[in-house]
Amino acid sequence: MKCLKKVVGIGAVAYAALFAVFFFDLDGKLLFNVVEPFLVKHYDEMERPDVLKTAYDMNKYPKYDA
Amino acid sequence: MDIKKLAKDFWYGKPHTAEEGGRRLGDIQMPKTGLYYHREWRGVKDTFYYFHNIWMYNYVHMVMDIVKFGNPINFLKGTWRYRWMGQSYLPVIHWFDRGLAGLRGEALRASALHYRAMVSAALTQITRMFDADVRLNGGKKNDTYMHTIAMKETTWGGMVYPWSDKFQYVPVEMIPYFVTCHVNSHTVHNYIDAVQSIGLPADPCPMCQAESGLFVLNDFPECSPMFITCNEACDGSVGTAVLQDWFFDKPLYALTMPMLFDDPLVKENCMKDIEGCWKFIEEQTGVPFNWDLLVECIERQNKIQEFEWEKWEVAASPKGNYPINGVAQALYRIFSSQYGDLPIWHETDKKVRPILEKCVAKDIKTFPQTTHRVLAWSCAPLYYSNWCTWAYNCWGLNVVINMDSLMFNMTIRTDSYEHCLEDIAVYHMWAPMRRMAVGGMHHIFECWEYMEKFNCDMVAMYDQLACKGMQGVHGMFEDEFRKRDIKAFWMPHALPDSRIVSRAEIRRLINDYMTTVMHEEPLDPSLLEIDDDMTW
Amino acid sequence: MGGFLLKDLKHLIYFENLLQEANNELVKKGKEDGKFAIGYTCYFMPEVLLDLPGCFSVRLRAPGCTSPDIATYYMSGRVCHYGRSLFERALEGGYNFLDAQMATETCTVTCRFQEHIKQKKLDSVSDMDVIKNDKFFCEFSDIPFKKDANAVDHYTKQLQAHVLNPLKENLGIDTSDAALLQAIKEHNEICEIINEIGDYRKAENPVITGYEFHVIQLVSLVCPKYLIIDKLKETAKELKTRKADKKWPFRCKVVLAGSENDDPEFTKLIESCGAEVVCDRYCYGAVESRQPIEVKEGETPLQAIARHYLDTSNCPRFMPQHDMRERKQRIADLAKEYNADGVIVVSNKFCEYWSYERVIDTIVLQRDFGLPVCSIEKEYINGASGQLRTRFQAFVESVEIKKIQEGK
Repeated sequence: MKCLKKVVGIGAVAYAALFAVFFFDLDGKLLFNVVEPFLVKHYDEMERPDVLKTAYDMNKYPKYDA
Repeated sequence: MDIKKLAKDFWYGKPHTAEEGGRRLGDIQMPKTGLYYHREWRGVKDTFYYFHNIWMYNYVHMVMDIVKFGNPINFLKGTWRYRWMGQSYLPVIHWFDRGLAGLRGEALRASALHYRAMVSAALTQITRMFDADVRLNGGKKNDTYMHTIAMKETTWGGMVYPWSDKFQYVPVEMIPYFVTCHVNSHTVHNYIDAVQSIGLPADPCPMCQAESGLFVLNDFPECSPMFITCNEACDGSVGTAVLQDWFFDKPLYALTMPMLFDDPLVKENCMKDIEGCWKFIEEQTGVPFNWDLLVECIERQNKIQEFEWEKWEVAASPKGNYPINGVAQALYRIFSSQYGDLPIWHETDKKVRPILEKCVAKDIKTFPQTTHRVLAWSCAPLYYSNWCTWAYNCWGLNVVINMDSLMFNMTIRTDSYEHCLEDIAVYHMWAPMRRMAVGGMHHIFECWEYMEKFNCDMVAMYDQLACKGMQGVHGMFEDEFRKRDIKAFWMPHALPDSRIVSRAEIRRLINDYMTTVMHEEPLDPSLLEIDDDMTW
Repeated sequence: MGGFLLKDLKHLIYFENLLQEANNELVKKGKEDGKFAIGYTCYFMPEVLLDLPGCFSVRLRAPGCTSPDIATYYMSGRVCHYGRSLFERALEGGYNFLDAQMATETCTVTCRFQEHIKQKKLDSVSDMDVIKNDKFFCEFSDIPFKKDANAVDHYTKQLQAHVLNPLKENLGIDTSDAALLQAIKEHNEICEIINEIGDYRKAENPVITGYEFHVIQLVSLVCPKYLIIDKLKETAKELKTRKADKKWPFRCKVVLAGSENDDPEFTKLIESCGAEVVCDRYCYGAVESRQPIEVKEGETPLQAIARHYLDTSNCPRFMPQHDMRERKQRIADLAKEYNADGVIVVSNKFCEYWSYERVIDTIVLQRDFGLPVCSIEKEYINGASGQLRTRFQAFVESVEIKKIQEGK
């Protein structure tokens, strides 16, 4: 019984906490203010190959006609 | 303090209009970011529906679907590797919030189901792309890679139906470009800037620019040994295909879409081209064309179309029982008709049907504060596809139907190969943004016909500033609006690029029209001016 | 600089005058002779078909149209200036002489222009009644994006259904094979003359400037051919004895590639900066449009025409992979053939095809073929552009430096 109460209690607290996250848009605030800036920094700093060096072969592929 | 009113507001949510005390949706938004001080209180029933069945349900399914469709490790790697993925997957629930703002009851439920379906369909593609991606799999061309067929996003997925038991189609730019614009409009700016940095002028269609920019930034999944491209929707797409071919560098089939699709001779040519494409797939995959499988898939797709017609019938009725809002209708329809058959569309339709039937049977006014029934014509701003949610909440403008939804208005016959191919050719030629916008003047001016059919009394005329086809008929629309005495407002935008015409500017133009031309009062004045400049 | 030191061509001023308006004196003469004037805008509308006995082709231009105000109301200021200028000229009455417009939807804005002048006879949109000529009609053909057998077959059928049949039905034009063969013969004759003139540009010190050639080529596109052919022949003859300046007056030679260009002043601008335009690989240019048509065994004349126009075109509209890629090789080959030192790639503002093509040409021609490239965006009319002049001057200097470094 005690255990059940504990489970229900934890459940209720978790539920209330989740509702608070939902209602006060804490997920959005976290994503906008923390997660996205972190990811943007990562993507901005990512090394990218110079695609302009990609070969442009004239005869690499056969003709694919209808 | 009016306890009774407070209790009523708590139980049912605040009423819509300022006259009745008003819910003032603009007040719950934080300046600049568009985040909420708190999410909307929609009354006990709808708030908890939103909390359980939308917010929680979708967060959970955004994880479960990854496990269901693909490899979670690859998913994480892809999120870390691709900007469009990391920046736009997490704010998905905010995309729901923006599109579903202010909705209640059946409209909330039906519209949310459409959103959920789109997330699931997107995950089908994302997981496939990542599982096949050479970059995420140690440079290996694995079995999934060999069984994935990459196509330009505007090529109808049904072209691959005859191989769909062994191969999966991936529209290369659909998620990285198209879907992300709706969810997080910031990412696409990088791609547009990237392609301009190699010398492309700023004036071609920004959609085509962004599609090319993905390749310039090397931000496309390397997920297929072949590529099928097309010229949809315009000259810019042809140019995009040239750049993409260079950077993608794979065997390429150009499945072209003739413009003058009303001409029977044109259809004949298109049918041969489609057969050429099938021959190309056979050669590349080594797997023969499977007619039975094509029929099976098309018949499933036809069912989706048949239900769409049922939905349109309700939408067209002036009784106002249609429970799907403008943005959910438009995006779901574009996604499903363009991508082709998926189980999630059927699951969703199955859930939406009882809602639709209930609304009709009980004569539920799903958008009770409608002041005007609006037909949205031409192509919509991707970064502000939820403008119609705002327009309803602020002014009661109910966008009943839009041009893109009306494109693929057909089922495909399966009684014989010839009939089937003929209809596939038509479907292919009626591509998005194509059938009306660049398919000839007699199609773009079908606007009046659809206004009548859907009982609309107003037109929201999208004005895509870089769409040469639509700009080319701008004056004729002005003339016709005047001649026909049609209430219409222009909505300038640059498709994915929110920097050209901001959301605030779009709202200002609508506000000006509604006050100075229509002499109407806003239902929710708090929404007239909101600062969401930095929002996703 | 440029051709100014060469002795003037006898008919140059006459030719220049013919380019001052679409309804020029030879077009008027052609009409007086009882022939029908057939307008078109794009290479994909084979001019040879519009030059059948009884009619003549006029490739539309809008010379001097710098401010297309009414067309801008109808088409907005965000579309190609060429398309808008054509429409403005049409609204001004400048194309009322046309008996028909043979239209293509090959690029969006010219397509819209032609849709505007077409009598659509629809309930959904009012006709603007732009061309004040009771006979006038406008007919669209669908042009394939490929060159394969299916495309040739489709194109042949389109030309039959949307060009030959309407010409016959509406204007009584003889469209028999015999008439087509006659038109091909006359067309080839013009090609031969223009090529003879153009071939002088391959010389080390050409006896004709790019500007002069541009004028001659344009004249051959916008006048009834039977009325201009004698003067073209005379010019070809004149060039045989024309003496080049002792010292070549330019600093480098260039291929001019790109989108629509019917403005000889643009060529003059380039040449005034020291770059002689020796080859014109652009819409309205000659390297494609003046190749003679050959009727191969087993082909009908119409099939030969369809195949010819698809084969010879290097329009960026073609989408098959090998066609996309071969276009770059083609420009490099032309540079070699015409002894050019570099390439000027031009796109008209708002031209989507060439905006993209220009990006790739600019990178690939330099990287893979070692050709200096000047990449330019221009308006329809730009003779006096100081900005462009600066760009061309800088380009010429860079080419010169390269030549010095290479010891040329």
